[in-house]
This record gives sequence, structure tokens and C-alpha cells, in this order.
Amino acid sequence: MLKYLSFDIVFQEVPDEVTLAINISGCPNRCKGCHSPYLMEDIGEALNEEALANLLGRYTNAITCVCFMGGDSEPGSVEQLSLFVRESSNRRLRTAWYSGKNNLPSGCSPESFDYIKLGPYVEELGGLDSPVTNQHFYKIEDGKMKDQTEAFTKKMRQFEFEDVCAV
Amino acid sequence: MELFIIKRDGSKEVFSVDKIKNAIAKAFLSVGSFATQDVLCNILCRVSIRDGISVEEIQNQVEVALMAEKYYAVAKSYMLYRQRHAEDREVTEKLNFMMDYCNAANAATGSKFDSNANVENKNMATLIGELPKSNFIRLNRRLLTDRIKDMYGKELADKYVELLENHFIYKNDETSLANYCASITMYPWLIGGTSSIGGNSKAPGNLKSFCGGFINMVFMVSSMLSGACATPEFLMYMNYFIGLEFGNDYYQNADKVVDLSKKQRTLDKVITDYFEQIVYSINQPTGARNFQAVFWNISYYDRFYFESLFEHFVFPDGNKPHWESLSWLQKRFMKWFNRERTRSVLTFPVETMALLTENNEPKDKEWGDFAAEMYSEGHSFFTYLSDNADSLSSCCRLRNEITDNGFSYTLGAGGVSTGSKSVLTINLNRCIQYAVKGGMPYQVFLEDLVDKAHKIQAAYNENLKNMQSKGMLPLFDAGYINMGRQYLTIGVNGLVEAAEFLGIEINDNPDYEKFVQQILGLIEKYNKKYRTPELMFNCEMIPAENVGIKHAKWDREAGYKVNRDCYNSYFYKVEDDSLNLIEKFRLHGRRYIEHLTGGSALHLNLSEHLSKEQYWQLLKVAAQEGCNYFTFNIPNTVCNDCGHIDKRMISECPVCKSKNLDYLTRIIGYMKRVSNFSQARQQEASKRHYAKVS
Repeated sequence: MLKYLSFDIVFQEVPDEVTLAINISGCPNRCKGCHSPYLMEDIGEALNEEALANLLGRYTNAITCVCFMGGDSEPGSVEQLSLFVRESSNRRLRTAWYSGKNNLPSGCSPESFDYIKLGPYVEELGGLDSPVTNQHFYKIEDGKMKDQTEAFTKKMRQFEFEDVCAV
Repeated sequence: MELFIIKRDGSKEVFSVDKIKNAIAKAFLSVGSFATQDVLCNILCRVSIRDGISVEEIQNQVEVALMAEKYYAVAKSYMLYRQRHAEDREVTEKLNFMMDYCNAANAATGSKFDSNANVENKNMATLIGELPKSNFIRLNRRLLTDRIKDMYGKELADKYVELLENHFIYKNDETSLANYCASITMYPWLIGGTSSIGGNSKAPGNLKSFCGGFINMVFMVSSMLSGACATPEFLMYMNYFIGLEFGNDYYQNADKVVDLSKKQRTLDKVITDYFEQIVYSINQPTGARNFQAVFWNISYYDRFYFESLFEHFVFPDGNKPHWESLSWLQKRFMKWFNRERTRSVLTFPVETMALLTENNEPKDKEWGDFAAEMYSEGHSFFTYLSDNADSLSSCCRLRNEITDNGFSYTLGAGGVSTGSKSVLTINLNRCIQYAVKGGMPYQVFLEDLVDKAHKIQAAYNENLKNMQSKGMLPLFDAGYINMGRQYLTIGVNGLVEAAEFLGIEINDNPDYEKFVQQILGLIEKYNKKYRTPELMFNCEMIPAENVGIKHAKWDREAGYKVNRDCYNSYFYKVEDDSLNLIEKFRLHGRRYIEHLTGGSALHLNLSEHLSKEQYWQLLKVAAQEGCNYFTFNIPNTVCNDCGHIDKRMISECPVCKSKNLDYLTRIIGYMKRVSNFSQARQQEASKRHYAKVS
């Protein structure tokens, strides 16, 4: 059974979306230098359709996306919950999955998500905003995974100003 | 047993009867008489000393004793002697204050009475402004207590001073004689220039005289107000004058060279040069305002607000405002200002964009989209949302119900004229803790206090009318502002702290909602009760640049429960990192702000900028939650070594790699360097929770 420890409204994990990020515990990956090692423990409350419906009840109109942070111990459940989010919002909400695995588990279909992040955290290579990261961020369009990792390294660019307004 | 007395500086000293004897003997000598031991004994018999008595109390007893023994001439001499010393002490105090001020780290920390970060540097001019502040406080109190006595009797007048001195209430801007703040209509100036308010400039006739005259007019108006001056029609008028010279379709030819001098400037450059002249001039420190810059506000409108506010508006030559060109000019100004802020620290104007909403999103898609675009480009401004163009906010304190959208050929658009005559703030934390400790239902205590606050404000209004009848308020006489459209404001401070004391959790829950509704609803009930054709009240959560710090300090000293050094100006705890952004919108949403008729601004602190799509979604969230006034606050970085200004919050200068950096953030409504804040405010700023976005 999936469990989650906390949730937050985040902006950088999924570009251009206002995202409800759910921090799932019981992470089977043992990445060295993990920024939230407590999520390796089997703690928190059950994350099922009922719990998710509760969270959505509070935030559904405010957000554009739900992101599952982790859940690699039960990829099938994550996929089911993703489909549940879509269905219960009449496909208005997009979904994202932050997985620590290098590849999407064989039983999972990319089409069940709108965004997928893959790859374990490797201390020397850094996270998505590092130029040498091993992680990849994909946007799913027409069932295909399009790599958009670049969007994260561009994040800290200086502002570009338009000097003249378009008429 | 040794007796101790308390000296004026608060220190303790062993009591010495000889000192009293000496003083009495000197008083006798000063009137050519001599006090024998017997005489001294008789007088001293009437003086009773106990441990911990103050010097002042002993001297009072000596005065009474001298008179009781019928040495009237000696008593008079003794009193005069005391008076001279009191005056000396006052001068010494002022001198000490002067030296402390000169030694303080910045002007806001040095200020004793009314600190304000809107002063860059301390210098002779700011010191000159600082010194008479204590006299203004006394004068204002006297003016008001005299009036209260006339209208409601001595008991309420005494009660007013008692409430002030015990910090149940706070009279804002008591250090100034002028009424508080105003959003003005510029029509009287357009018709007649500044002569009606005591100036000598004629009505503006072309773009150049408009831009120059506008600066002078804003300075003149501001010198007669103690707070902000809003000119919600600034860009509309400027647009009119540009149109007069270059045609209403000028914006389609902005890249054409229109300046035939060697500079060969394009129309766009001519326009932005005028922006530069106006904005840089108005950001200068002003002599008449103790070296503060004038506090200047402007507004932007979407098409629907524009139509609603100005549908009947006609310029003196019969022209009507032209939306397409104004829309362009508004955007041009925002783009220019955002860019200019990377070149110089520019505090003013404070900008508010008014957007009408429909189905929980901006109705004018073009302008909603542009708002999101400007936020995503790092521009910092306020957004005002309403599902009905019947209210408007042109600055933190200038929210008003638009009761009159009419147009008059002498006063222009009715909807833009508003403001606050005076603000009287209730320290809710003190009131509620005091009542609970005294075993009294706090609602009863508050209701009585709120009632008194309205009477006090009504008395202020009478004083203002009196000033007007003597010709002291030309802004009113000339129609720039209108007595009947200005509010008397009841401010609240310490709301979160009071709720915490009562054991209520500070997040969106039924108990907190009920508490907020109850407190603010009570004030609104009295706002309505005291309303007359000439008295309008509103209620505002005051931004409290310095009041929040003072209340926390005073309440702590008096033994009340105080959880932070500066009381919140929000419905949530500023340092609370458990509340996500949506929850903050919710806590400033319709269920909480319903009775806050004077408005409150939600400042959403973020550590990084968001994308346009994300800001667009947050505009929708604000509309859904009914949060009508907000801004996003991402600290900008200024390099103290090379002067580079960066829109991001960073720890190293990208240009010179220096780590000697300062941050620009909003203190209340306006952007200033954090190092210009008073010391306590700097601490508050460092504790503010900037929502992590990664």
C-alpha cells in the first residue's frame, strides 16, 4: 500500500504548472545524498483514491497538475492513481510522476501521465537543474516521451526584457 | 532599614533627608527669607517617604507642605524652580535624541516617533523633520481632546488619552497635522492649473507642460497630506496630451522619428523620456516632507474598468478618452518601469492594476494575460480583482466603493476620488488579552472600545471641517478631493496575535474564520451605525510599518503574551512555512476579508519567479478565493559594490562576483532596500517565509 507523508503546492518541479506535489514514503531507491531520506521509511498515511479525493477536494480548482513524488515500490498503484486524478477531474488536471528509476517500469504506460521524471539522484551529477544531470524530464505528447530536461537548466537565466510593446 | 527613592532616569538612590532640607532652604533664600530648623521640621513632618517613592512625588509633597504651612511665596518660587528644571530636562532630552539619531545606523532606526523606510539617508534635513514630531503629537492630542470634550464630554476625552497611553488604540500619523491620504481627481488642475491650491502654474496645454506641471502638482498635493497621493488618471491624461500632438493612432507609429534635433528621437523615445523625467523627479527626497519622497500611486485598468470609470468622461475640448492608445501606453509604462528598475532603485509609483473578473478569471483576457506576463518578467505591482466594477483600489489604503460613476464638468470622473482622512488603530492583542485577564467577555470590552473609536474619529472630522472653514484645506475647496468621499478609517493590528492568545490555530479553519468574522463584523456594524451623509467609515488591516513593532514591544513590556517582534499585517503568521501559497490566498479570501472594507494587501513572498502560465493560474486562484488585492514579492538583489540590480534573489553578484549584497523587497506597499528598514523590521523581513518553489 502506498503511503504519503506530506504535500505542498510547488512551481518548479513541473514547468508552467501549479502543482500539488504528494510526497510518497517507502522509497526503495537508496540514493546517496538523498535530500529527503526520511521518505525511505514506511511512514505516513495511506495514499489511495479516498485520500486523493480528499486532497483534490481542497485544491482541485486551484491547481493544474498533481505530481506523485516517488512510489517506485508500487508503480502500478501510482499509475492507477494518476488515471483516477484524470478521471475525477474530467481530464482537466494533468499528472506527473517523479520516479527514481532509470526506465519506466514495464507494466506502465507513459500515456497514463502528462509528465515523467526518470533517473536516480546521483550526488556528483546533481538534480534536474544541474547541467550534467543524469535525470530526465519528459513531457508526454501523443503517447511519446519528449525530453524537456533543458527547461530546468535554463531556469536561472537572467530576465530578458522587451523594450517595445507589441501593438 | 534603608529607604530607596527612584530618580528620574529610573535608577535607585538611598534616601537622604538633607537633600530635601537643602532644597527647601534654597527656596526660602530665593525669596529673601530664611528657614529655621523648626520651620524645616514642620514642613518635613508633612512629607511622608516610603520605599520606592519617586523624586517627582517627593517634590509634589513638598509643594503641598509649603502651602499648608502658608509659605505661599516660597511655594511659588519652588514651583518655578521645578518648572525651569523640567524645561532644561526637555532640552537635554532633545539633545540626547539628536545625538542618538546622528549615531543610528539608518534613518528608520533613529526615528523615535514614526519610523519610515521611505527615507534613504539620515541627514540634516531628516533630522529637522524628526525634532518637532513630539510637539505635533502633543498638539494633535490637544486639538482632538478639546473637540471630544465639546462633543461628548470630558469623560471620553480623558478616556481617549488613557486608551492611547495604555496602547489599546494607536493614532496613526499623529506626528503630522495634515489629513491622511487621498486619491485625487486631476480635472480641477486640467481646467485651472495649480492656482486654486496656492500655486502659480496655468492649466497644462500640451504634452510638455502636462509632464512638467504634473510633477509640481503632485509635490504640492503631497505637501498637504501626511500619507499617500494617488493619481489614478495619470496615464489617461498623459495619453490625451500625446494624442493631441500626435493623433490617437500615435501608438501605431511609435517607431517614427518625431524629434528633428540631432538626437533624432522616435516617438517611443520621446514618450519614455517623459516617463523618466516624471518618475525620477517624483522619487527625489522632498523638502516639504522631511526629505521623504512623496508617496505616489498610479493605476492601470483593463478595458471593462476603463469603460465603467470613464464612460461619461469628457476632456474640456470635448474629446473622450481613447482606450486603444491608453491600453498601449499603460503597457509601455509598465515595460519601461520594470526595465528601469534594473538601472536604479525606484520606489514610486506604487502601481495597481484593476481587473474585472468573470467566471473566476480576468474578463479582459488581453489584460489578464499581460498581468501574468509582467509578473513573469519580474515586475512587482499590485493587482485588484473585482467581479463588479463598483469598487476600486488605488493603493493599500484607498479601496473604495464606487457610488458615483458620473462625470462632472468641474470635477471629472467621480469614481477615482477617495482616500482616508484619518486612521485610528485598535490593538486587538492588547484589548483581548486585557479583557480575558480581567474576567470580562472580550466581545463586550471590544464593542465599547469600537464605539468610542468612532466617536473619536467623528471628533477628528469636526476638526478637519473647522480647518476647511478657515481656508486651510485648498485640496478640498478646489475639488481635488472631496470631504464626503473620504473615509475615516478604523485600523486593526494584532489580529493574528489575539487569535493565537485565545488558542485558535492560524490557518483556514472554522474557529479562526468565525473569530475574524466576529471581530471585523463588529467594526463594520459600528461603521454603518455611525455613517451619516458626511461621515463614512471603513476598516483596514493596517500595513503597520512601525506600529506593528511598537505594539509588540509595548505589550511585551506590559506583561502580555507576545509571540513575535512585529505584529502581522496579514491573516497568517508571516514566518509560518506550513502554509502553502493557495492557503494564503484562501486566508485573504472573501470569507476573511468580507468586512475589511478598507482593504488589505496580500503580499505573497516567493523565492523565485514563476512562469506566465503559473501566474495566470494564480490570478484565477485569487478570483476563485475572492482575494481582491495582492502582489507577488520576490526580493531583488542590489550589489553594493558594482551597483548591479538583479530581479532574482541571489547570493552572488553575477557581474562582479561580490557577496556584499542588499535585497529590495516590499516593506508595506513599496519596494525599498532591506538595509533602510528599521532594525526590528529588518528582523521581520529576514523571518518572512519566502515560499520555496523548488
